[in-house]
Formats: sequence, C-alpha cells, structure tokens
Amino acid sequence: MRIYWIKIFFLLFFLAIFLRLFYWQIIRGEFLQAQAEGQHFTDVTLKAIRGKVFFSDGSLLASSNPSYLLFGLPKVIKEDKRVDTAYALAKIIAGSDAKDVSEVAKDTINKLSQDLYWIRLYSNITVEQKKAIERLNISGMGFEQGSVRFYPEGSSSAHLLGFVGKDAKGDDKGYFGLEGYYDGELRSLKGLVRQERDAVGLPILIGNFQTTNARNGKDLILNIDRSVQFIVEQALKNGLEKYGAKSASAVVMEPKTGNILALASFPNYDPLNYFNYPKEYYKNPIVADLYEPGSTFKVLVMAAALNEEAVKPDTECDICQGPTSIGGFILRTWNNKYFPNTNMRDVIVHSDNIGMVFAGKKLGLDKFYSYLEDFGLGTPSNIDLQDDFSSDIRARAEWREIDLATASFGQGIAVTGIQMVKAVAAIANGGKLMEPHVVNKISDENGVFEIKPKVIKEVIKESTAQQVKEMMVAAVSEGEAKFAKPKGFKIAGKTGTAQIPVAGHYDPNKTIASFVGFAPADHPKFVMLVRFDQPSSSIYGSETAAPTFFEIAKELFTYYKIAPDE
Amino acid sequence: MTIIKKFEPELPQKRISKKLVVSILACLFVLTLVQIWVSNTLVSYGEKFERLSSLEQTLKTANQILENEIAKKASLTNLATESAELGFYKQESIQYIR
Repeated sequence: MRIYWIKIFFLLFFLAIFLRLFYWQIIRGEFLQAQAEGQHFTDVTLKAIRGKVFFSDGSLLASSNPSYLLFGLPKVIKEDKRVDTAYALAKIIAGSDAKDVSEVAKDTINKLSQDLYWIRLYSNITVEQKKAIERLNISGMGFEQGSVRFYPEGSSSAHLLGFVGKDAKGDDKGYFGLEGYYDGELRSLKGLVRQERDAVGLPILIGNFQTTNARNGKDLILNIDRSVQFIVEQALKNGLEKYGAKSASAVVMEPKTGNILALASFPNYDPLNYFNYPKEYYKNPIVADLYEPGSTFKVLVMAAALNEEAVKPDTECDICQGPTSIGGFILRTWNNKYFPNTNMRDVIVHSDNIGMVFAGKKLGLDKFYSYLEDFGLGTPSNIDLQDDFSSDIRARAEWREIDLATASFGQGIAVTGIQMVKAVAAIANGGKLMEPHVVNKISDENGVFEIKPKVIKEVIKESTAQQVKEMMVAAVSEGEAKFAKPKGFKIAGKTGTAQIPVAGHYDPNKTIASFVGFAPADHPKFVMLVRFDQPSSSIYGSETAAPTFFEIAKELFTYYKIAPDE
Repeated sequence: MTIIKKFEPELPQKRISKKLVVSILACLFVLTLVQIWVSNTLVSYGEKFERLSSLEQTLKTANQILENEIAKKASLTNLATESAELGFYKQESIQYIR
C-alpha cells in the first residue's frame, strides 16, 4: 500500500513538473523568447542618404551633409554641473555673440531641469561642433546622426529645386520644384541589421544576422546648364534692381529637345532656411503664376492664321486706319499710331493691336480656340516640377466677339511662362511642339534611366514656322527694341507689355513687361522668355525685358561659341 | 551418454579494433580543440568587425563632407567672387575675326 502511495506521489510530482514546463515552454514560450532576443539581439539602423542632384556637366547642385542631433539624459547629469555644462555647450553652439550664448545656455538649463530620461537638446549640429562637444567629455550627452540638405550654389536655383521639409511622420519630404516632383526617387530607405551580440555588446559573427539593406535615393542629372543658369540669374538680378520691378523671371529652353537649360526667378529664398521666408516665395512663378501675355501672344495667333491660310504675310489689314469698335468697346493700338492697309508682317513689327484683331477675325473663333489647345494652353505643360499649373480656357460657348478680339493681342487670356516659351519653341522647331523637361537622367546603383525628348504634336507647318520666324526677326531688327539688339546676330523675338487687371479694370501704370524669342534665328540654339512684373522705371517690355533678353543672349552666344551671322 | 556440453568450434568474434576507436577519439578531441579555437577567434573578430564598421562609417561621412566642400569651392557663385577679388572682369565687347 505504501509503495502504491509513493508511486502516486511521484506520478503527481512529475505531472506537476510537466505542467509547469508546458506552461513556461508552450504558453509563455513566445514571451520568454522575445525577452531573450531582446537581450541577445540588437537592431542597428543602416543609414541611407537622399539622392543628389547634378547639373548637366556633372557638378553638384544638391547633396546631403551629415548632421547630428544632440540629446541629453537629465537624470544622469548632476544638478550642480548643469549650469557649467549648459554654458560650455552654448559657447560651441551659439558662437561668439555673448547674447546668443546666454540665451542658448538658459534654454539648455531649462531642458536639463525637466523630469525626463531623454531630451532633445539641439539639432543640425555640424561635424566640427560635434568634435568640440565630444572634447568636453560631458557624461549624460549623446549624438544621433542624421543628414541635412546641402546646396553648394547657395540660394541659386531655389525655385527649380524646391526644398526638403518633414512629413507628418517626421521623415524627410520634398516640397515644390524637383525635390517635390521627384520626392519618391530622391527619398532614401533606411536599412536594418538585427544581430546577435555578446555580453559586452560586440557582434557574434557566427550568430544570427537578419539584414534589410539600406537604399540610397536615386540621383538626378539635369538638363540645366550651370553656366547658363548663372548667366540668367546674374542678368535677372541686375534687371530687377535696375528696372525697379516687383519680381523677375526667366526660362531658357532648347527648342529641338524641350530641355530646360535655365530657370530663375526673383525674389527667391534660401531652401535651407525656407521657413524664414514668406510662403508666397516657394512657388515657381515660371510654372505656377498666370499672367496675361500681351503682345508676345501675337506671334501664336499670327502663326495660327497663317497656318490656316486665313491670312498671308502680305495680306493687308483693311481696319487698321484707326481705332475699332467691337461689342461696344473701343480698341486702340498701344501707342495710338495707325498704319492703314498695313500687311501682316508689319502688324507684328509695329505690334499693331488692330491688325491682330483683323487676323483673329479672319481665323475665326473655332479655329482660334482649337489652336489655343494645340499650342498647349489650358493644360499643364507637363514639365517635371511640382508646381506646374494651368488655368482652364473658358468654354467655347462663353466667348464673345470682344473676347476673340482682345485675346488676339494677348489680353483677356492667361498663360504661365512655361506655356508661353513651350508654344514659341514650336515656331523655332519647325512647328513641332516639344514637352519641356528639367531632368535628363535618373541614376541609381542598378543603372541609368534616360528621359528622352518627346514631340507632343506638329502644331503648324514648317513653312508657316519659317514665315512667323521671319516676322519675329523683323520685329527685333525694326521694332521698338532694335536699339538694344546685339549687332551681327539674327534674333527672332517679340516684346510684350500687358496691363494687369485690378478689380475689374486694367491699371495703365501696372504692367507685365516681357520678351520672348529665340536665337540664332536660322538654327535656334535656345528659346527664352524674360518677364518683369510691374517695372517702375518703364512699363514697356521693349525698355526692360528686351534689353535683359539681349544681354543674356549676348553672353550665351559667347558661351556657345556662336559667331555673328548677319 | 549424457551430453554435458556440446562442443562447437568458437567462431572468431567481430571486434572493433582498438586502433579505430583511439583514432576516432583523437579526431573528436582535435575537432573540439579546433572549435574552441575558432569560437575564440571569432569573438575577437566581432570586435574587429565592429571597429571596421565604425571606421567605414566615419570615412564615408568624411568623404561626403569633403565632396561637399569641393563642390562649394567650385561653385560659380564662389568662383565669381574670387575672380572679382583677383581682378578679373567681364569682357564687354568681343571682336570676331573671320
């Protein structure tokens, strides 16, 4: 009997052990495994950097610089050492200004006095500052490495690039320009290595490794020519000051390919410190701002009329002897000078509004409307910048006779700068409309993806393009801007002086002065638009935008080694 | 006649050779020593690996900083300022010779 009870006791004993083992190994097994892994395994983040942006010649436009976040452990730093620590840090972070040092030190003391285990002290610490802080040998401080965007050309090309801010999760995100449009390509992906470590924290090489590879962002190689960009920016900056304009912008494009060679606007901002500038500065005016193009638009209307054979270059205008009345409105020329029976060539040379009303009438509203769409107006240009914008063209049924008349000389219709230059480039390119592109190639470790030139459509015949080109050459050599034209070069262009609509009427003293053209006229290397918003020294495009255009063109002729052809 | 024990010739017993056993044991011993040596070496390689990883990171960071410094010095904005300080100026008129 006793043996029986001993057997029962041992059975129950082993059953208890079994049940306990079952509890710890099966029921709580995962929990214990996780705890063990927590002790044995460490996760190491593999950093990756945001993609770089290069000019067409391979020089750097945007890159990343390592930066550090300085954090403190308030519970580790002794109370009596806080003030000395704060002032020692402040001298490194704030520099030599005593006032700044004092403010930074007070801020640091406040942060270290908080009842926290970990606190962020300062971000964007440079490598030199980090080394100086490390030399202080302060316990209870540490660094986390990150990166901050770096622009070797400073605030040049700010509107082209955009800037890098943070998204809702605190990750880097590009806004506006290239940083915004190509954010997905430029963005990097952090990697993770989960490694087994020993008691001292060293990796066990024969242990378990789980790796998710980091991926650097893709690099962009632009069509932008560094020298052309510099030339355009310098000339624009000088022009902005000289003509007392509110703003200035310019874009240079290669007509045969649609490659954007330069794009600049002022006032601009520093993309590193974008938060210190008004938000209105972030938008790229060339692609996002609408304006009434004025007389520069006449070349497109004339191209349409010639292409449809509604008029010929020698067709005479029979309403050009004086002002004309349409729908109860009186329309005049810009200078109140009239040329009876003037031909279409001279309508462009004299920038004759009445002549353009004549040409527009001959073309007819249906065809006029259709050419607006064909030239790419009313739809975004498809340029690879985030802020690309277009307004819709008013519905065909809403157009009245006066609307056709005013649109014929570029008022009452709104375009962006890039739409204007894209349309005029079609004239320079034998009638073929090209899609504009800033980026030429996207590259990563797997290869290079090239963005090829894209023909959108043939808007006008080559012969029509030739006719309009000759008119534009005559407009430059015989028109209002002839005195500023560089000698010896055949340049095709058109001035524009568009009044700005204010509260339902046009303000005669506020204009958008512009000049659009291409050169050399026979084998165009570049097409360019220069625009000044509300110049105060003179309201006319011929006295502001045109001289700036010619100044840039002269430098481009030298840069591209183009000899005079006249 | 009572049979007490049947005589059967003794068959030779299959025995594992002593030499084989000793060899196997010796091999196992050597392998154990090798494993201990490899594990010890790997532990110290863990430290070297950590040091090399840290050095790689430091050098990559230093390279990136230098690359950016070079780009900044070579920027057209910087070159324009320095060339102006050295007395270079823009040529206003250019003569073309055919």
